[in-house]
Amino acid sequence: MTAETQLPPPPLPVETRPPAPPRRRRRRRAGQTLWNLLGLALLVLMAFPVYWMISTAFKPDDDINGFTPTWLPTHPTLDHFREAMSRPFFWDGIKNSVIIVSVTVLVSMVLAFFAAVALAKFRFTGLKLFIVLMIGIQMLPQAGLIIPLYVVLARYGQVNTLTGVTITYMTFVLPFTVWTLRGFLLGIPRELEEAAMVDGSTRVGAFVRILLPLVAPGLVATSIFAFITSWNEYIFARVLLNDQGKQTATVWLSYFYGTSKHTDWGALMAGSTLIAIPVVIFFLIVQRRIAFGLTAGAVRG
Amino acid sequence: MNPRILGVVGLIAALTFAIPTATATTGSKSATRAAANTLTVWLQIDAQSSWPDLVASTNREFERRYPGWTVDVQYASWPDHLQKFDATLAGGSPPDVKEMGNTEMTKYMAAGAFTNLSADKKTFANSKNWLGGLAASTTYNGKLYGVPYYAGSRVVTYRTDLFTRAKVKVPKTLAQYTQVARKLRAQNGKRSFSPVYIAGKDWYVGMGFVYDYGGRIAIFKGGKWAGALNSPRAIAGLNAFKRFFTVASRASKTTIETRPNPYDVYAQGNAASMIGPAWFTCCVGKFKAETKQFVMPSHTRGKVMPGFLGGSDLAIPARSDAKPQAKTWIRIFTNTQSEKTLQAKGNIPNATNLLGKSINERAAARSWFVPTAKNWVNVENANVLRTMLSDILTGKASVQKAATTASKSITRMLNR
Amino acid sequence: MSSTEAPGGAAFAAEAPLPRRRRPHTATRLFRGAVPYALILPVLAAVAAILGYPLYRLVRISFEQYGLFELIQRKGIPVGWENYSSVLHDPVFWDTLVRTVIFTIANVALTMVLGTLIALLLVRVSAVVRVLLTSGLVLVWAMPPVVAVQVWLWMTNYENGVLNYALTKLRLGDYFQHDWYATPFSQLALSTTLIVWGAIPFVVLTIYAGLAQVPRELVEAAEVDGARSWRIFKDVTAPILKPILLILTSLAIIWDFGVFTQPFLLIGQSNIQESNYLMGIYLFEEGYSKSDFGRGAAISILMLLIVALLSVFYVRKMLRLGDLR
Repeated sequence: MTAETQLPPPPLPVETRPPAPPRRRRRRRAGQTLWNLLGLALLVLMAFPVYWMISTAFKPDDDINGFTPTWLPTHPTLDHFREAMSRPFFWDGIKNSVIIVSVTVLVSMVLAFFAAVALAKFRFTGLKLFIVLMIGIQMLPQAGLIIPLYVVLARYGQVNTLTGVTITYMTFVLPFTVWTLRGFLLGIPRELEEAAMVDGSTRVGAFVRILLPLVAPGLVATSIFAFITSWNEYIFARVLLNDQGKQTATVWLSYFYGTSKHTDWGALMAGSTLIAIPVVIFFLIVQRRIAFGLTAGAVRG
Repeated sequence: MNPRILGVVGLIAALTFAIPTATATTGSKSATRAAANTLTVWLQIDAQSSWPDLVASTNREFERRYPGWTVDVQYASWPDHLQKFDATLAGGSPPDVKEMGNTEMTKYMAAGAFTNLSADKKTFANSKNWLGGLAASTTYNGKLYGVPYYAGSRVVTYRTDLFTRAKVKVPKTLAQYTQVARKLRAQNGKRSFSPVYIAGKDWYVGMGFVYDYGGRIAIFKGGKWAGALNSPRAIAGLNAFKRFFTVASRASKTTIETRPNPYDVYAQGNAASMIGPAWFTCCVGKFKAETKQFVMPSHTRGKVMPGFLGGSDLAIPARSDAKPQAKTWIRIFTNTQSEKTLQAKGNIPNATNLLGKSINERAAARSWFVPTAKNWVNVENANVLRTMLSDILTGKASVQKAATTASKSITRMLNR
Repeated sequence: MSSTEAPGGAAFAAEAPLPRRRRPHTATRLFRGAVPYALILPVLAAVAAILGYPLYRLVRISFEQYGLFELIQRKGIPVGWENYSSVLHDPVFWDTLVRTVIFTIANVALTMVLGTLIALLLVRVSAVVRVLLTSGLVLVWAMPPVVAVQVWLWMTNYENGVLNYALTKLRLGDYFQHDWYATPFSQLALSTTLIVWGAIPFVVLTIYAGLAQVPRELVEAAEVDGARSWRIFKDVTAPILKPILLILTSLAIIWDFGVFTQPFLLIGQSNIQESNYLMGIYLFEEGYSKSDFGRGAAISILMLLIVALLSVFYVRKMLRLGDLR
């Protein structure tokens, strides 16, 4: 490798950067404090409804319906959580959702990654048609597909099965994921790609291995989207699943507000808080992969 | 072969391969029926939460009569149960027994969704005495397509302590109630306080006034529906509603009866009474001890203002292949013993000879029901009546004009 | 860097060197023929197997009279263009279309602008605040729509909502018992805030992931050269973000044009009327609510065509982006 084509040594990750000259560091610190404050203010504003949901789950009924809003739950109670968890099929709902969503996300990410590579890195007949198909499918209002989809799955014998729901979710997640991952792949600066290619690898496997870390942030973002969309999906799960033991968490939640009598708001909020927990866990696990310094590390390796 | 052409062929093949060339009709039953001798029953979630024992005992009795059969009961919730039902009608196998709201029945009966039960009417308990509002919802073109299940009416829930403080008694006529409202207001002038909380767009209450004065929403004559809200009697009822509302309710004139829930307003101490289903007593907060109910009085002494009879029916989809079994199950589930159980849970049983003395049931003595037209649901979804009421109350239109506009819309929609 | 001839010449097909011009990406010449097809085949097969028939059926029944009766008979009556004609001749359709286009533009603009700004903010904050903020955004994103709508309704409740309470206490006017759902404008404005609020997390996280692809050294090199933030954004960051911004905008247009759940639940079935219809709601009311499935299918196809038209600019850019390589 000649000197000209070798990249300058990649910077160390942010945390261990050699200290900048003092004046710049002080200015940067002050600037960051301002940004931090802005960030926290934004957090309060955006997450206020979430806070309201969670705090309502802890409030006794009187506070929930009170005339003046109760900002802080001063008499927190766990009754609503107990009530929610005692409703039939709670753990079944969580279990089914976890199964369906994990399989959907895993399989979709793999298939979509390969397809996106084909779309971003190759030229072949039918390329444009396929891309248009990926975005075109998303333009169709889903409402019209419920009944025909039910008919198709009934013919395959997949009504009232977790597999049927998983396949359905995959077909909705795939076009979006392919479309978005293609964008991430297109966005990789060519310098990084070419520098990586300099290693001389020609096999598809190595090619993919090089692209994978470069597009990791994109994979993470789309996997979070796939996870949340599938986790919160309601109408298809409702229509396709009959047995209460097979229903997903969102369908379980719908029974809280589906009666002809009054809705137990505390229990509903508690239930919603509970089923949001797996989403947060998933996010915390994968979010570490979106970080600066990642692309540099991959190139170096 | 040129790989590119191969690829294109493959692409097209993949697309067309998946599209079946046959038409959509499926004559045979799909694989959704779990086992040969299973009776599939779809009930609403209310049954699971409020009377699961009744369901269990019905199943036991059924399985006793049909050894080797099992009952698979599945529960749906009100907001989207019809979407699911539509899907099974289109492509899978529908259930053998389906619970339908009484206002939902007509559209499906007109479309031929259900089995004709006219020949079996006698075999259902108390069928000669079925409640008017429910029986009307199970009949179409003179044929019976469903069995009444249970009902609920509307009553007044009130604060005995506030009534005592204002030195008023339970009113026996509408005029008395108006007086009571005035005295209650004199006791508490707060801006947010309503002597009688009625939401402006609460058409269940509003139409009660119309029917009380002898008016109707629509009349079926000569093979066609005609909106009847601009008849003199209906207009009298609407005027009475407007007068009563102005005195008694401080609720928003443009909001509906679930935003906010009347019992929430009541529980906050901002209503001395409210008109609604009998189960409102569930959620009155700290006023539980001081809460009682009475029937909404008519403008005529000694009579009850007609209340909207909401309820459920049970029907057997026409495609069911277990019709005799389904009929038996329904027979057990709605027999006198079962209806008494439902009654004990605070519901109105399905027959007049079973009616007891509870406020809920006394209120059902005079009831009204929506026109049994197959397009009635469209009128509800278009909010014709709600808009009419809020226009009248806000003064946006005179009573005459608003009623005429609504009648015209109703005539148009029901006759489509 | 002047040379485009990588010394590891075996990796690239032998070609006459193109002086001073970036060679188009040469990977296409490496792997001929079957490979790309093999890569897209699983996705294609999955989508075609499940969606192929429903799509065909949707188009077919748009040309049929297909109501509840026909659904139960499992047979529609062909009526040609009647469904389309009745929709296109319906003045409500055109009013709704105009209203929805304006609504979409407002929503997309707000979502993209706010999303980008917040993503840029995420770069600048400390790691702790970043994790807090992103977790908060994910919680927002994870709230089921029904629950989010309910919380929104509580906040804007005319009797005891925090919004009226706070605005009155802050002396911004008398919002005592202000009914936020009284006029179509107010109803749609509130729907916009709910939708934008719910869409921001996705946009922020995706753009942030895109920003992670921007090489640090390019940014720092520009900083050292003395470029100011705006220039850096314009010259270094934006070009790399471009495909992602295009994707997000095209998706936002598609979603916001056909949005149904949030405005329907927020405004409430009882307040929905022709003066505040959005296309998603129009589809529901005129098609599925009336059990006129044929008409619903026709409206769906029309919506597809309209959305395709609205987003064609962005989609074509996305298609062209691949060409330049």
